[in-house]
Amino acid sequence: MEPLRALIRGRLLSRRDLLRLGPFAAGALGLGCRPGAPAPAARAPGGGRISGSIVGASHRIGHRLRDGGFPEPQQTREVPVVIVGGGMAGLSAGWKLAGSGMHDFVLLELEAQPGGNARWGENAVSAYPWGAHYVPVPGAEATAVRELLDEMGMVREHGPDGEPIYDARHLCHAPQERLFFHGQWRDEISARALLDAGDTGAVAALAAFDGQVRRYSDYRDARGRRAFALPRAASTTDAEIVALDRLSMRDYFDRAGWSSERLRWYVDYCCRDDYGCTLDTTSAWAGWHYFCSRPAGAEYLTWPEGNGRIVRHYMARLAEQVRTGMLVYRLRPALDAAGAPAPDGGVEVDALDTTSDTAVRFRARHVVYALPRFTARRVIENYPPAGAPSEEFTYCPWMVANLTVDRLPDGAAWDNVLYDSPSVGYVVATHQDLRTTPGASVLTYYLPLTPPNPEVARAWMLERSWDDWVALIFADLIQAHPEIESLVSNVDVMLWGHAMIRPVPGFLWGAARRAERRHGAIRFAHSDMSGLSLFEEAQYHGVRAAEELLRALGHPHASSLPPAADT
Amino acid sequence: MDDPPTAPGGPAGARTRALLIAAFTIATCGLIYELLAGTIASYLLGDSVTQFSTIIGVYLFAMGIGSYLSRYVHRDLVARFIEIEILVGLIGGLSSPVLFFAFGSISAFRVVLYAWVLATGVLVGLEIPFLLRILKDQFPLRDLVSTVLSLDYLGALAASLLFPLWLVPRVGLMRSSFVFGVLNLVVAVWMCHVFRREHGRPRLTVQAWAALALLLAGAVYADDLMERSERQLYADPVILSRTSPYQRIVLTQANGDVRLFLNGNLQFSSRDEYRYHEALVHPGLAAVAAPRQVLVLGGGDGLAVREILKDNRVEQITLVDLDPLVTDLFAAHDALAALNDHALRSPRVRVVNADAFVWLEEHAERYDFIVVDFPDPSNYSLGKLYTTTFYRRLAAHLDAGGAMAIQSTSPLAAREAFWCIVETVRAVGLHAAPYHAAIPSFGEWGFVLASSEPLRAADRYPAALRYLTPDIARSLFDFPSDMAPVPVEVNRLNNQILVQYHTDGWSRYAR
Ligand SMILES: Cc1cc2nc3c(=O)[nH]c(=O)nc-3n(C[C@H](O)[C@H](O)[C@H](O)COP(=O)(O)OP(=O)(O)OC[C@H]3O[C@@H](n4cnc5c(N)ncnc54)[C@H](O)[C@@H]3O)c2cc1C
Repeated sequence: MEPLRALIRGRLLSRRDLLRLGPFAAGALGLGCRPGAPAPAARAPGGGRISGSIVGASHRIGHRLRDGGFPEPQQTREVPVVIVGGGMAGLSAGWKLAGSGMHDFVLLELEAQPGGNARWGENAVSAYPWGAHYVPVPGAEATAVRELLDEMGMVREHGPDGEPIYDARHLCHAPQERLFFHGQWRDEISARALLDAGDTGAVAALAAFDGQVRRYSDYRDARGRRAFALPRAASTTDAEIVALDRLSMRDYFDRAGWSSERLRWYVDYCCRDDYGCTLDTTSAWAGWHYFCSRPAGAEYLTWPEGNGRIVRHYMARLAEQVRTGMLVYRLRPALDAAGAPAPDGGVEVDALDTTSDTAVRFRARHVVYALPRFTARRVIENYPPAGAPSEEFTYCPWMVANLTVDRLPDGAAWDNVLYDSPSVGYVVATHQDLRTTPGASVLTYYLPLTPPNPEVARAWMLERSWDDWVALIFADLIQAHPEIESLVSNVDVMLWGHAMIRPVPGFLWGAARRAERRHGAIRFAHSDMSGLSLFEEAQYHGVRAAEELLRALGHPHASSLPPAADT
Repeated sequence: MDDPPTAPGGPAGARTRALLIAAFTIATCGLIYELLAGTIASYLLGDSVTQFSTIIGVYLFAMGIGSYLSRYVHRDLVARFIEIEILVGLIGGLSSPVLFFAFGSISAFRVVLYAWVLATGVLVGLEIPFLLRILKDQFPLRDLVSTVLSLDYLGALAASLLFPLWLVPRVGLMRSSFVFGVLNLVVAVWMCHVFRREHGRPRLTVQAWAALALLLAGAVYADDLMERSERQLYADPVILSRTSPYQRIVLTQANGDVRLFLNGNLQFSSRDEYRYHEALVHPGLAAVAAPRQVLVLGGGDGLAVREILKDNRVEQITLVDLDPLVTDLFAAHDALAALNDHALRSPRVRVVNADAFVWLEEHAERYDFIVVDFPDPSNYSLGKLYTTTFYRRLAAHLDAGGAMAIQSTSPLAAREAFWCIVETVRAVGLHAAPYHAAIPSFGEWGFVLASSEPLRAADRYPAALRYLTPDIARSLFDFPSDMAPVPVEVNRLNNQILVQYHTDGWSRYAR
């Protein structure tokens, strides 16, 4: 499919390209245009049998932030702490506060459902993720992740060395993954699975690549820190490693002389999967972080609703503090009666209750700011302060679709990836189901929009209709699943405008590291702070902000974070 | 086509209506025939992806040939159209029986399959251009194309809805093809009547009626045909065959030997199944001090239950099997219930139809003895029932002093698979005592006895066993060197290594 391949290369599809996908997807089952008959321009997917829509229109609410015009708050509530943003970072901050016995706070979340990028949905067939869908088994540095998973009952027992042994029920079951390559499924997504043993250049490149992975994985600095750690803050600051951030992953490959097309595809796929960036737009530091921050062959935990399982665990503890449907639109220093900044350094948090369309003001001594960082400019008054480093946070948009299917495609693994596809494949929501009989399922299909200019990609994405998306998905999947259209009964589509922070060259050890952690009584906490869009990072920054705040309040607590972290 | 299709204007006489209805039927039936071919090919050959994609490819290609060929027909369009309608009806209507009967030889089957798909495709491909040409004087071209194509899509929609929702589960593959052939031909007969002046050939009408009669007979006798065709797949005469949502159940009989096949795999032969079921049940059951409550997982044929009922100490047996069709057959069908001595109707037996893994999770009762009689771990779905997670859950249902007996495939054919099951049982902290028995129709077969305390071999078995005695049973726990333990990994949900061992073992053995 030429148009799809163009999408991989970062060219967006024109209206004509999309129309070319339409009849293609339709014709495949013989349902659509018959040869010899005049072809209609496009046809409703599945002959109109398939239902669904584009769900979650929060970018429209988000645009209100830009356009302004909010009512003045009529009432003010005093509360010691306000957390703004109920994604993983905000919820993790709340979890740490509540877990330390500090319950007097509110958490304000825009959407009706908390969780941010880890939100999930549910239909008659299964729960399914809308974004984040797994957590790798945490290494020793990810202390807070370990604490959380233990609390969630994911650990079956502790081994003789005290290491947690995770319950196989929640570790991703076999078969975990497969890769569709040249008309056949391989049961592994790896560069090795793609290797052509006769291509000596490729064999040498892969050996060199694997060798480098091993070297970086084994690296320890003078303080015992790893080259690439999770959370990122536990990584070394050695210049040799940090310097990688100035290169793109492609630069690294070019310099190393690794020209193997398939190896490059694999690494590009990994970058798109974790960062929504390509070989060109991912910094080499971020690229190597993907391969070297986790032990080789590390397993991962997953649930039908994806990381929504963690959201549910958090919510069971924070039901009283979380208020959904609250659009936070303004933060500014609280004033005293005379109009001067209040002596306690308090902050006014103004939010619109979107259900009643009335504004509410919270007056807080401390704020945890867990919204994506790019919003700070619009939400916090006089931010960034004059003379502060510029904040260049850019984001990759993603389209995620949930496809309800009558039965699974044959041999489905949990993660199913197609070589040379613009998508990163689909995961199966019912994979952890213990029933032995196959039945209906939900496939979550992921498409990062990776053109170099994310603004353009975002605008393009928001203009596409549901039919366009369905045609695109079918055109992509049909190469591996000719019967796909007949299996699908519903397709719901979610458009994530600012889905993932982009670790472009120079960002992680530049703007991201320079960005303020704190602005007066406002503490920033979002995975953007680390520049890597991962649960571990979101949780790290949420917990970090909460612990700083507990310290400021003089509230006793035990730290959940690794001691060596570079905060 | 930028404009939305307009409603057909012009004369809405019976002729136009007949032609448009024909367009709709062609679209529906054409797609149904293609889906039938794909389903039958996947059912017989497996690998549905390949089957569907090649069939779709051939079909589309054939339609292209059909539309191309249509240009060589200049006269008597209406008569030709009706002839084609009759042919499509006949060829399509006969597709299931032809394909099922062709399966006797796999190479011939492929040839027949593609010839059939090609023929249907060419004919359907001819029809649409004909229709457009016949109708072109009645409508402006734009309306015409949009009307015909809309009907075409509507037909496709109807087919894609009917097929999975109603035809396959309710009507069956065999009868579906006849039913749609009949539909084609009813339209053909009707058109013969409506266009009697245009075609002016009484013979056409006779042909249409004859074809219709043939297919109607087929529809009536579809079940007989299905059974007849299935006989070729089995060595012995088929005495019963049913399809449940879970599997195809076939029973054969020859010289007093009844055999049960699920999805083509032999489950037992009545000639020697007593060896299997005595070996599965008694070594464990006899070793339990007070087996009052017994649980049987799988084994809906009731044969293991029959063995358990021979032990008078047992008060209640709970049988959990997925498929109600199997347990109903073995409870109510005379010949089948005779095989298990009407065990499933005993007041001591409770039958539950549920998925074992889920049922164990939702219930808390404990049992003194548990029989685990699942199909072999030949795929990932079944492999889950042999994992540490499953055995841990099972162990939670075992009373102190209880035991469980697990069917564990052949230690001779799939040695690694057998020892993998043993090691997996041990990995959850249970004692495992592996043993084996010779069952002529299966070969050398393996079992594992699992318990939280080591078991002592029993010295008394129920009377009236045909195979086991305490002495023979003791000998079964010895393994000759060709079945001796091999180093293996433990089977877990997150590796499912057992499926690999099983597939490797059996494919090597079968060669
Ligand atoms: C498609 C996709 C797949 C992913 N898969 C994985 C995965 O498998 N594993 C993994 O570890 N990570 C994954 N991620 C990364 C994911 O982003 C992080 O794991 C994590 O969920 C980020 O949490 P966060 O709290 O930092 O940010 P966010 O999730 O962005 O949370 C920000 C929250 O603030 C709210 N908000 C925004 N504006 C306002 C406002 N004005 N007022 C009030 N509230 C507001 C938002 O609604 C949101 O809830 C994925 C991301 C995407 C997009």
